[in-house]
Amino acid sequence: MLRIRATFEKKGRAKYISHLDLNRCMLRTFRRSRLPIWYTEGFNPHPYYSFALALSLGYESSCEILDFNLTDDSITMEEVRDRLNAVMPEGMRVVSAAVQEQKITAIAKAEYAFSLRTDRPEELFSAVEELLAAPEILIEKKTKKGMKTVDIKPDLEVLTCEKADDRVDMIMYLPAGTQTNYNPSLFIEALKRVTEIPFEAEDIRRTAILCADNSPFK
Amino acid sequence: MSTLKEKIEKHLLEVQKPSRYIGGEVGSVIKDKSKVDVRFAFCFPDTYDIGMSHLGMKILYSLTNERENYWCERCFAPGLDFEEIMRKNDIPLYALESLDPIRDFDFIGFTLQYELSYTGVLNMLDLAGVPVFAKDRTEELTQIVVAGGPCVCNPEPLADFFDIFILGEGEEVNLELMDLYWEMKQQGAKRIDFLRRAAQIPGIYVPQFYRFFYKEDGTIDRMEVTDGAPEKVTKRIIRDFDKVYYPDNFVVPFTEIVHDRVSVEVLRGCIRGCRFCQAGFIYRPFREKSTDTIVGETRALCENTGYDEVSLASLSTSDHSEIDPMLTRLIKYTEGEKVNLSLPSLRVDNFSESLLNKIKKVRKSGLTFAAEGGTQRLRDVINKNVSEEEIMSTCRIAFEGGYAAVKLYFMMGLPTETDEDIVGIAELAQRIIDLFYSIEDRPRGKGVQISISCATFVPKPFTPFQFEPQDTREMIEHKQKLLMDSVTSRKVKVSYHDPNVSMLEVILAKGDRRLCRSIYTAWKKGCKFDSWSEHFRFDLWLEAFAECGIDPAFYANRRFEYDEILPWDHLDYLVSKEFFIRENKTAHRAVTTPNCRERCSGCGVNKAVGRECFAKDQSDL
Repeated sequence: MLRIRATFEKKGRAKYISHLDLNRCMLRTFRRSRLPIWYTEGFNPHPYYSFALALSLGYESSCEILDFNLTDDSITMEEVRDRLNAVMPEGMRVVSAAVQEQKITAIAKAEYAFSLRTDRPEELFSAVEELLAAPEILIEKKTKKGMKTVDIKPDLEVLTCEKADDRVDMIMYLPAGTQTNYNPSLFIEALKRVTEIPFEAEDIRRTAILCADNSPFK
Repeated sequence: MSTLKEKIEKHLLEVQKPSRYIGGEVGSVIKDKSKVDVRFAFCFPDTYDIGMSHLGMKILYSLTNERENYWCERCFAPGLDFEEIMRKNDIPLYALESLDPIRDFDFIGFTLQYELSYTGVLNMLDLAGVPVFAKDRTEELTQIVVAGGPCVCNPEPLADFFDIFILGEGEEVNLELMDLYWEMKQQGAKRIDFLRRAAQIPGIYVPQFYRFFYKEDGTIDRMEVTDGAPEKVTKRIIRDFDKVYYPDNFVVPFTEIVHDRVSVEVLRGCIRGCRFCQAGFIYRPFREKSTDTIVGETRALCENTGYDEVSLASLSTSDHSEIDPMLTRLIKYTEGEKVNLSLPSLRVDNFSESLLNKIKKVRKSGLTFAAEGGTQRLRDVINKNVSEEEIMSTCRIAFEGGYAAVKLYFMMGLPTETDEDIVGIAELAQRIIDLFYSIEDRPRGKGVQISISCATFVPKPFTPFQFEPQDTREMIEHKQKLLMDSVTSRKVKVSYHDPNVSMLEVILAKGDRRLCRSIYTAWKKGCKFDSWSEHFRFDLWLEAFAECGIDPAFYANRRFEYDEILPWDHLDYLVSKEFFIRENKTAHRAVTTPNCRERCSGCGVNKAVGRECFAKDQSDL
């Protein structure tokens, strides 16, 4: 049995496919590809596959991870990639397929890039800097047990924060994986609360899935 | 200026299930519009989840798109949340493939599947920026608003809104209509010239060429035909059904839809002749596909879509002459490919044990019987040729096979129905319970569960009951109460339909042109999605009828006379009015008519088609 980890893009119109719908969509994609995917054994056999991380509706990504098993060991990674790409929906494309190296629990963080569109980039930029300099960044997070206030400041790593003519561009690491998952909308909401300056977050995309030491998850 | 796509995307995350509004699904057909001559927007007057389940759209979509220079796209009614955004932000109704506004299309085609979607049609035209009344549209040759589907058999309540109605099966006539359009478009013809020529195509009904005059009592006095249109418009049928076009691919939605699976049409028409059933008459003659064709279409669709479920579509699948070998071959394929096979539309009476075992192999869910009437007398009246012994013996087989849940469908308010027939529903349910407990090897560990679903009878055009009045609300409420009082077991659950919904349904089904104004008024008052109970506003409908001088009881609760000119008399669905009158009389004597395979009952379709429905070899005629 071949344990495959495929990295795929989800862009353009495909960003409106919800995580639940993506599951169904992938099942059909596998069936169309006629790849020898491994089925679970038991009363109701179904193809076994899983996504490393869920992606929020409306986000694009260049690095989604999909794990599945193939029953045929002789198949090449290029063939896996090409056969999936031949039947993927518009906006979704397998960038690479490889044998799984690390355990899913090795995922620690994800890199996100996004733009904050505004007529007043200078002021918004200062507001962002001010927020980042604050001792804590408290947000309301929905958990299974109800709303919870958390401080995202310790887990937030900002890599870039640049102002342009009509926007502020940001790139940041946020915790991801089996323990804690923050997504950039939490930061964006926190910013909305501290500033009056109108802005809209755009082009939110996940650009990397990383291990604790910032190395790419493989 | 931002493109329409950008405008849509700006708000898409504010609405529920956004993937319904942006296209891009696997199987959707994208063309280069500079190379396309005729564009057709196939509109379903309800939301994506419902419309995408419609088989006719899938067939005609693929069929049209096979033609390189024609492009058929899909369009659905937006949910209320998105409609509000569209109106606020000047987003006109657009088609899902190109995301272009449908007002720029050559054809805007609706499928009319149920009466309660009529306000949806008006709302979609309005959202598109297309004048809702046909008379207000441009004189140029564009934006031709057409409709097909079962409700087109009496399209009169919508006559003012449509340029063209297409009667019968669309696989051939749709292309003929588009061919004529393209030919005339190149010649620079006007809209009216096109409509005049189109009216000469068999199956094409151009309502503006027909005028109606009424008697003082409100019934139709006479009809006048203008512009050389035919006196009678005859529906189209496909003669060689086994060879008819069938898609080898479907658009596969991202979001879950009502019928989220491959559908393969196994037969068209019905041999049964249940007297209440419109589908049983308007889709005649009975034609079936060969097992080879069915298996081939199943395989192609499963492979191309990636669906892991397939369902056989027809009015009565078990009436297929090769049902056993067909299922054997299908199950061989579906089991091998780990595909689920579902078989709706199975009848009680020919439900053999071997058939049940085949289904059981596939899936063990509940059993559903459409008994329709509570007593044998009433079942004879409606010609639902199923006896209590048959219901019982099928239930026995089912219970012995491990089933413990039975769903029973009934209608209330059927012609000649008495309180005895209503009590009979409860008694039948009780006898099924008794049967369950009398069986030695019944399923253990769970009790039997009988679900009774009671609809209100809606008399429909082109049925033997087209003349019948519907029960008034008071009568229905009395019967509902009687049924509730008659059901004593907690193993029986009863559910109803809202009688107001059924009343609106019959008015729109049997109405004439004078209703156009009421539909318009009701829509203006805010009626839409009438088939959704949470949006249904009967009070507004009643207001609309009152303002337009329409007495709902004239359409709903009045017996239409045999010699009366019916609003749909100028439309020919190949089954004769004489037959319907004869069947109506037979019904009132509680006498049944055998199914078409047993004996031809002379409905007229064989004469119209020019061949016997059950000749040994259908292909040589």
